[in-house]
Amino acid sequence: MISEQLKKSLQQRVETAITPREAAVDVMKELQRHYGWLTDEAVGEAGELLGLSPLQVEELATFYEKIYRRPVTGKLIQVCDSISCWSGCCDGIIEHLKKRLDVELGGSSADGKFTLVPCCCLGRCGDAPVMVIGETFYGNLTPEKVDQILEKER
Amino acid sequence: MPKLIIDDIEVEVPAGTSVLEAARSVGITIPHFCYHPALAIAAACRLCAVKMLDGPVKGIQMSCALPAQDGMVVSTTDPDALKMRKLVIEWLMINHPHDCPVCDEGGECLLQDFTIAGGHGIRRYQGKKRTHVNQYLGEGIYHEMNRCIQCYRCVRFYQEYAGGTDFGVTGCAGRVYFGRFDDGPLESPFSGNLVDICPTGVFTDKTGRFRARYWDYQYAPSICPHCSAGCNLSPQAYHREVIKIVARRNDEVNGWFICDRARFDKSDLNDPLRPRQALVDGSPVEWEAALNALATRLREFVQSHGADSLALVGSTRLSLEAGILLAELAARYKGVRLCYFIDPAEAQLSLSKVEWVPAGMAASQAELREADFIAILPCDLMEESPMIALAIRQAFVKGAKVYLVAPHLTALNLERLPFQVQVVPELADVPLGEAKRGIVVAGAGFADLKGLEAVPTGVKFVLLQPGPNSFGAALLAREYRAVPLREAIASGKVKGILALETDLPEELRQGLTFFAAADWRNNGAAEPASVFLPTSAWAETGGTWINYEGRAQRYRQAYKTGLPLRGLPARYYGSQEAEPPAHPPRVHRAVAPGGDTRSAWMLVAELIFKLTGEPAAEPYAGKWAPLKHIDPEGPGMRLPAELLAG
Repeated sequence: MISEQLKKSLQQRVETAITPREAAVDVMKELQRHYGWLTDEAVGEAGELLGLSPLQVEELATFYEKIYRRPVTGKLIQVCDSISCWSGCCDGIIEHLKKRLDVELGGSSADGKFTLVPCCCLGRCGDAPVMVIGETFYGNLTPEKVDQILEKER
Repeated sequence: MPKLIIDDIEVEVPAGTSVLEAARSVGITIPHFCYHPALAIAAACRLCAVKMLDGPVKGIQMSCALPAQDGMVVSTTDPDALKMRKLVIEWLMINHPHDCPVCDEGGECLLQDFTIAGGHGIRRYQGKKRTHVNQYLGEGIYHEMNRCIQCYRCVRFYQEYAGGTDFGVTGCAGRVYFGRFDDGPLESPFSGNLVDICPTGVFTDKTGRFRARYWDYQYAPSICPHCSAGCNLSPQAYHREVIKIVARRNDEVNGWFICDRARFDKSDLNDPLRPRQALVDGSPVEWEAALNALATRLREFVQSHGADSLALVGSTRLSLEAGILLAELAARYKGVRLCYFIDPAEAQLSLSKVEWVPAGMAASQAELREADFIAILPCDLMEESPMIALAIRQAFVKGAKVYLVAPHLTALNLERLPFQVQVVPELADVPLGEAKRGIVVAGAGFADLKGLEAVPTGVKFVLLQPGPNSFGAALLAREYRAVPLREAIASGKVKGILALETDLPEELRQGLTFFAAADWRNNGAAEPASVFLPTSAWAETGGTWINYEGRAQRYRQAYKTGLPLRGLPARYYGSQEAEPPAHPPRVHRAVAPGGDTRSAWMLVAELIFKLTGEPAAEPYAGKWAPLKHIDPEGPGMRLPAELLAG
């Protein structure tokens, strides 16, 4: 269930869009912020707000990798493995993250603080290799820098 | 009109034609999966690669997405294009399971054909294949997602063409999945077309799964019997059982598709209780004996009661040929009652619809798809004639204004319509005067033809009829001065009825001294009939039906009538007592068990011969002569004005 207040603000967002579909990402992101991930219930609510069927919301939700259709434990670390970051040796960074958190890609750390997933280009290739924790962006990563960031984010 | 050269052949095509279609127009098939003439271009499969040797664009191009232009020189056989296509096939086959032997699509699979054609034979990829979990999609369609090659045909059809919202594409990249939000039957009444348009075996017809291969089927061009739209289809039969029904292309009528009722409702044809045995006084006899008995009893009846006590009854599902011959039989007995309708109101309405529409002003489904203004008079289109609604959707998607005239909105289910309508209380509120290609649509029950008089000239009409040949029956009734059966009975004289493929209400059989029937449907007519003759169903014989727009369409025999091999009763295995063996009967016989039937028209012709000693006249003579040569695989024939006029 979402609050009346949130519902109202989302309705306003949908009304300002030329086509409801255009507002879909914003609506899904807000619902995700509310629930922590985009639950089945949230898909239904998004559909009602947007005038789409649950399936049509699902089509969009599963296309965008930053919309989570499964629960996420702790903070989500998304580390880019696309070509620019790969040239900047993201492989080493990913290995380092795996070792530090003692997880495989897609897994959550034992203390429940972090979940590690690879992701597509974050649009900051000039700062490669890069990652995002929650909604905070970190670039020009080195193993040492990663350790400091993890300490800070923890 | 752009002129281009494809494989050294000069081609001129209308502007906007794709290179792929231009090549097809001169008989060159460029392999393709995602391209479908009825759907929007996706250019998703990358298979239709050709090499542009000269002209405005050069190099490898996707021929489905490239409009033909002047000066293009196209090679479909260039080594670069061949290599590209071969690699695309290999890539599409990476995840495709090698399950053709257990796949129902095997033998009619585009992926199989083009894999062979593309020259891909040896698997180089050693990795793991991508796999998916299938969904339950209802009793019509079986889902096998692992076979998917991501051509997007299904979702383009389901959402864009048919307006469904409960099936689509989720995920991205290597995780693309075509299905529903969760398991459950597909909601669209056009979902069965996924079976036809999927180029491989992701969607197969659950109602005919694992029964036969493509090459086993007997099939023929045929027409749907479920409503008056006259959609073209093809029944596929194996061992005297209709296994599947598939859509058949007719650009003037249904385009490429049919509704789910047309596709999945085979119960009438395959009904194990279908009457297949000729009966005299309830006892099984040979066909010939039953026909002799019918002729004798008819003659005796007419002698003792007079011809005006006899009613010869046809129906709106009877073929036009049988209807014409029935009139010829009636002509031999002066005073006999000839009926093509049971209900006077229905008879009157059918004929007035035929006569009300001015010549050339009946709209086909193709014209509906191109209309710019459509007014729907109160009717439940999705129940009555879903394909008409699908045609209206195509106009709606192109920007047509659709109005629903509904004085009482409560009775109508707007939710199911695959397009948005503007509801107005009266037809006069629809600004049809602004229409360039306006069409008024009315259901079979619509009777207020007077109300249509205000419609401006130039607007066309879709006035649906209740049966597949109601239009033809109305023409016959007018031509041969037939009376509706209830009216004939009300006169009090009718004492005998011969019902030919007619669903007779039980109360009309009361008080008769003579009742004979001929039918293929299990409608309870066989038991009370003193003589019963089984006929061949529409898929088992040829004939002609006239749809709501006055388009005569011929259907052909797809297979010979007979009891389906599966589930044959014990008496056909030589002995009533012995256990039935697991193989077909070895009793020598000229016809298949349960196959001793005739087409309705042939039955009437034989009866005429028995009664008069003269052969029946050719039905397509005189007025009906223009209908003699209709190509069953063509668009059908709009009736000429002299046939429509009284």
